[in-house]
Formats: sequence, C-alpha cells, structure tokens
Amino acid sequence: MRTIGASLLRALASAYPLILIAVVWEAVARAGLVRPVFLPPLSTVIAQLVPLAKDGEVVAPLAISLYRTAAGLAIAVTAGVCFGLLMARIRLVRWLLDPLIAFSFPSPKIAFLPVFILWFGIDHLSKIALVAFTCVFPFIVAAYAGATTVPTNQLWAARAMGTGNLPLLWRVILPASLPSLMSGLRVGVPYALVSTFTAEMIAGGGGLGSEMMLAQRYFETPTVFVYLLIMLAAGYLIDIGVLRLREHILRWHEE
Amino acid sequence: MSAAKIAVEGVSKQFDLGGNPVRALARVDLSISEGEFVSIVGPSGCGKTTLLCMLGGFIATDSGRMLVDGRPITGPGIDRGVVFQEYALFPWLTVFDNIAYGLREKRMPERDVCITAQRYIALIGLSGFERRFPRELSGGMKQRVALARTFAYEPGILLLDEPFGALDAQTREIMQDELLRLCGATRKTVIMVTHDVNEAVYLSDRVCVMSHRPGRIVKEFTIDLDRNANREQVVLSQAYTSIRNAVWLAVRQQVTLHPSHDP
Amino acid sequence: MTAAPVTPLRMLSRLLPFVLFLVAWEAMAKSGLIDPRFLPPVEKVASALVDLGASQSFYTDLAVTFGRALGGLALGAAIGIPIGAGMAVSPAIDGFFGPLVKATYSLPKTALIPLLILWLGIGSATNIVAVMLSTLLPFVVYTYHGIAGVPRILVWSARAMGVPPRRLLWKVMLPAAQHAIFTSLRIALGFSFVIAIAAEMIAAHSGIGKLMFIYGESGSYDYMFAAVAAIVALAYVADRITVGLSNRLLRWDDIENRLG
Repeated sequence: MRTIGASLLRALASAYPLILIAVVWEAVARAGLVRPVFLPPLSTVIAQLVPLAKDGEVVAPLAISLYRTAAGLAIAVTAGVCFGLLMARIRLVRWLLDPLIAFSFPSPKIAFLPVFILWFGIDHLSKIALVAFTCVFPFIVAAYAGATTVPTNQLWAARAMGTGNLPLLWRVILPASLPSLMSGLRVGVPYALVSTFTAEMIAGGGGLGSEMMLAQRYFETPTVFVYLLIMLAAGYLIDIGVLRLREHILRWHEE
Repeated sequence: MSAAKIAVEGVSKQFDLGGNPVRALARVDLSISEGEFVSIVGPSGCGKTTLLCMLGGFIATDSGRMLVDGRPITGPGIDRGVVFQEYALFPWLTVFDNIAYGLREKRMPERDVCITAQRYIALIGLSGFERRFPRELSGGMKQRVALARTFAYEPGILLLDEPFGALDAQTREIMQDELLRLCGATRKTVIMVTHDVNEAVYLSDRVCVMSHRPGRIVKEFTIDLDRNANREQVVLSQAYTSIRNAVWLAVRQQVTLHPSHDP
Repeated sequence: MTAAPVTPLRMLSRLLPFVLFLVAWEAMAKSGLIDPRFLPPVEKVASALVDLGASQSFYTDLAVTFGRALGGLALGAAIGIPIGAGMAVSPAIDGFFGPLVKATYSLPKTALIPLLILWLGIGSATNIVAVMLSTLLPFVVYTYHGIAGVPRILVWSARAMGVPPRRLLWKVMLPAAQHAIFTSLRIALGFSFVIAIAAEMIAAHSGIGKLMFIYGESGSYDYMFAAVAAIVALAYVADRITVGLSNRLLRWDDIENRLG
C-alpha cells in the first residue's frame, strides 16, 4: 500500500512543472489579468469538453482524422516497404528512385497539398494522399536500411536451404528489416497525424483540424483549447500504442 | 574407382578490394569421396573460407571447375548444407521454426515437419526450448540449433565454416562429440574449415593443409584413428599426437614462410 | 572511405531519372487520360516557372516565407540550445523542462497555429512564433543528448586540468556536442519550411504558401505547379548548403583541436 502511494507521489512530483503551469494558468485567467478570449481558465476549457461531446463534435471529427491518418499510413507503409526493399535488391530500381527521393526528401511536403486538393477535392482523399506522400519517405529509408543490413550469412543460409531469390524477400529480408521498420513507424506516425491535422486546418472538410479552425474563426477559445488537448492526447496515446506494438513485434530482437 | 563426390579442379579466385586485386585462391585441387570427413586447415586469410563459400555456391569461381556428383556447382542448393561460424540463425524465428525452416522449404507436410523438428531438438538436448528465440540462447545452444537446422533436412553434403570458433574450449569439445554423434548415423560427406588443428585431426578422415594466400592445397594427411574409443583415449593416444604434431608443423611452416603478411 | 569520383558520366546518370520522370509526366499529360487542367504539360509549367523567375513579386513572397522560416529557426535555436544544454548539466533544470518536453513531444505543433492566430492575429508574428515553437523541440532534445552524451572521461580530464565549470561547458561540452547540434539544425530547417508554409496556407496575407493557394483558387494551375517545383528545388538547395556548411565548420574545428 505504502509503495503505491509513494510511487504515485513520485510520479506527481516529477510532473510538477505541468501542475505548476496548470495552476498558474488557472490563477492568471481567473484573476482577470488576461481577457478570457485569449486565455480562458483551464477549468472552463475542461468543462467545455462535455457540451462538445454531447453535440457530437468530439468523437466524430476525431474518428475522421484518425481514419485519414490510418489510411494514409497504410499506403505509406506498403508503398515505402515495397520501394525500399526493391531498391535494396534491384540495382535498376535503386538507380531510378534514389535521385528522385534524395531530391524531394528535404522539401516541405505540405507544399503539395494544393496539388492534391486540385486532384482529389477537399474531402478524405486529398488528406490521405498528403499523409501517404509525406510518410512514404521514412519508410522507404527504413526498409532500404533494413534490407541492406541483413547479415549475408543469413541470406546465404536461407538460399542453401532452398529459398529462391524472390521468396527471400518476404521470408528473410522483410522480417530481418522489422527493427528498422519499427523505427520508421515511430517517426512516420507523428508525421501522419500532423499532416492530417494541418491539411484539415488548411482545406477544411471535416476532422479535428477543420473543427479547430472553425472554432477559431468564431473566437470560441475554450473549444480551440479543447481540440488542442485532444490532439495532444491522441498523439500521446498513439505513440504509446506504437511503442507497445514495437515491443510485441520485436520481442525476439536483441536490444 | 568410384568418382569423387566433390571435385575441385584448378580453382582460382581473385577479389577486388577498393581497387587492389587480392588473389585469394590459386589453382586449388581437391577431391573428396562420399562419406569422407575432410578438414581444411591453414594460416589465417589463406582462403579456406572462400573455398568453402564457393563450394556452397555463394561465390563464383574465376577459373577452374567445382563439381558435385559430376555436375558443376551453379549456386546454393539443398544438397549442400552450410553451418556458419556466426550461426546465422534467423533471430525472428523460435528454435523450433529455425530448425523447421529447411523442412518447410522442402514442402514437407506440417505434421512431419513437427515430428522431425522435435526429434532434432531432443537430439541436441534442447527439449523445452522450442519456443525460445536465439537471443535467449547461449553460444553453445545457438550452435547446436544451427547444426540441427542443417542436419534436419538431411543434405548429403555438409559444409562447416569454423562452426565452433566462437565457443569456449569446453563447449567446443562437447560440440565436437555432438557433431560426431550426429554424423555417425548417416554417412554424410563433410568438409570443415577450421583453424584449430586439434579439432581437425580429432574429427576428420583427412586433413588438407592450405598454403598462405593465395591458397592452394600443399599437404594432405590421412587420419586413421579408432573412432569407437572415447575422447580421452583418442586424444591421449600416440597415434593422435603424432599426426596432430605433423599437421601442426605443416601449418606452422605456412605461417612462418610469410611472416610479414598481415592475416 | 573512398567515394567514387564525381565524373560527368556519373552526374548524367543521376540526372537521367529526372528526365525520365519528366517524360512520364509529359506522356501522362498528353495522353488524354487525364483532364489537362489537373496535370498541365511540362512545357506549360516550365514557361510558368520562367515567368515566376522573372517576377519581382514572386521573389518578394519567397523572401517573406524564407524570412519567417529562418527567423523562427534562429529564435528556436537561441532558446532551445541553451535549454538543452542546461538540462544536460543541471538536474534541477532537467527536472523542470524534462516533463514539459515529454508532454509536448506528441503535440503536432501546427495545432498551435489557430491559437496563435487568436493571440497574434494573421501575419508574420504568428508564423515566426509557430516556426519557433516547432523547432524548439529538436534543438532541445538533440543538444541535450549531444552534451549528455559527452564521454565522462573528457569531462573529468578537463576538470583535472583545472578548467572551471562554466568554461567546461564552452570549451569541452559544446564543441563535443557540435555534431548533434548541426544535425538538429538540419532537421529544424526542414520543420521551419513546413511550418512557415503551412501557417501561410492556413491564414496569411503574403508568402509563398498563400501564393500557391491564390493560384489554385484562380485556376492558374501551371503557375501553381511551377511554384511547387520552385519550392522543392529551393528546399533541396537549402539543405545542401546546410550540410556543406556544417561539414566545413565541423572539419575546421577538428583540425583546430588537433593543432591546438
């Protein structure tokens, strides 16, 4: 009993800056030092969550954003892994794709959003396309790195046991690349979330980002804060989810 | 006279390392009969591992021929099983799945795969470890799994590249006897590369000594020891000691012939 | 490490995929499979690009965006690097900022833009602050790891030679952490462009992000594509310059340390 209390106290103590900020926030807002349209009290923000949820303006937009993120990620992972593996194994593919990838790597992918909106409109597809395009790069790099660092002996052992060149890709190279791919996932997932929210803020079409912009336009500051906190929570929980996934998938990996 | 199981005729190999050509092998000739256990020893860097990799079909020859059952080697194949020094186990597969890998590649029915794999796991004394991953195993255990994995699908030829090199002395001795036991039942043709002369003499029917780089076979020793005797009797016997000394001397001569060369 | 020499043949070989890309683009555009509005042919985009290159207002917009990005970047570095360094040397500072870093790690920084618009209105202030906030984290984290990762032995031997604690930071730790700081610079540079353009797209009166949307809304798609191409090229050049500069500076310091 005592240890639970002690560890809880320790957790709270280590989070003291956050508590401090929350307290200062509440105090400053309540004291009227700032106009509520700029900084509503924290308590008001939290209270705002309830009516929003009741009006269906929390779960539905969140679900839309998450759907777009997931769909875009699915495309990015599939395409990225395929390109990365092929680049690692076939010299022609590497020669063809490497300069193009290196050239577009540093570019702000958000600059392509107008193109995607032109092609796909302002509903789901343009957001999914942006997510896919932004996130494919870390996965190509991760798949390529993973595939090119498979120990040669493992490749040779598999071939000696009868694995052909093509099955080698998914029987040996892909599993051996999983650690690298999971690192890519850790980078790619936050990118995907950011891209979705940003695209929604810019182009509208539903989702948390566009709801947030709407609230801002009507100066509904508590609502803006609520969405901000939801995005923060979503990002945090998803990151934990990715970590757990990584632990499970890589349970065989020597750290 | 029966044709050799494995024939190496005038094989040479040269590597280009960053613009500098390195001659690894120079006209190697070797003939191995079916069921023979042959060890290849020699100074570090003499090309013995290269030779083994070529026999495995992983590296191509520059000149000369390599034949198995009279047919040239064109690539890796399930007739030649390989055990590498660093085990080359698949880290994402359990002990069971590693050993079952070759069996599944042969399209064996899953039930037979299970039975065979379990049999080998028991044979190497790792019952109860089926679901463990390689990272949970010691070096000796990993090596046993590597051996079992290659033995399980029963290739006619075994190529061993310093299979016990990474193990401590005691484990190495245990594994050598394990190998003899696994080989004992089925008369496989075995080619083993090792830098340990003691091990070569203990295990083999024939020991080939390779020259310093560029390597070729300079001396061959036929070993005739009583394999039914236990380890103590064999190692302490006069026959073993004299052959071992002769082999060691032959290798030593190769080492001292080129003292300034880097290994 | 011997790198292959950069011969004209090699350069040509690296450029060929781009040529193929353009050929494929042209083929797609002219094939009639796609509405020509959605994919203007290469020559139209190229001529639009030339127009932009000759247009003063385009450069003005570019300068505005670049200025915002680099301004925010500089602020982010000026604040982030000291915080990261402080966290690495002082447990008290780490105790305060550590949880903050962890908490905001998963926050998409563009989510702060609507809030910033509320506070600062639409304009450069919002953009620069947004860029600054998003580049803070890379600078803090990389500087922290760079300095915290300095081998103890270096620190101890410097102390043994009588270097006082403050100079320790300057003379031993920062140089050792340089590599990490330059890496974070490269990453932060990428972020800064993205956030600057995103902020402009969300709400702005000027800048290249806004410009692209104006082209989009007015149907001047070839100019829109040209602007995208220009941004991609400029970002690449900026990245190369950063890498080149970092390498140059790091190399000089290595030599200096060896001689000094």
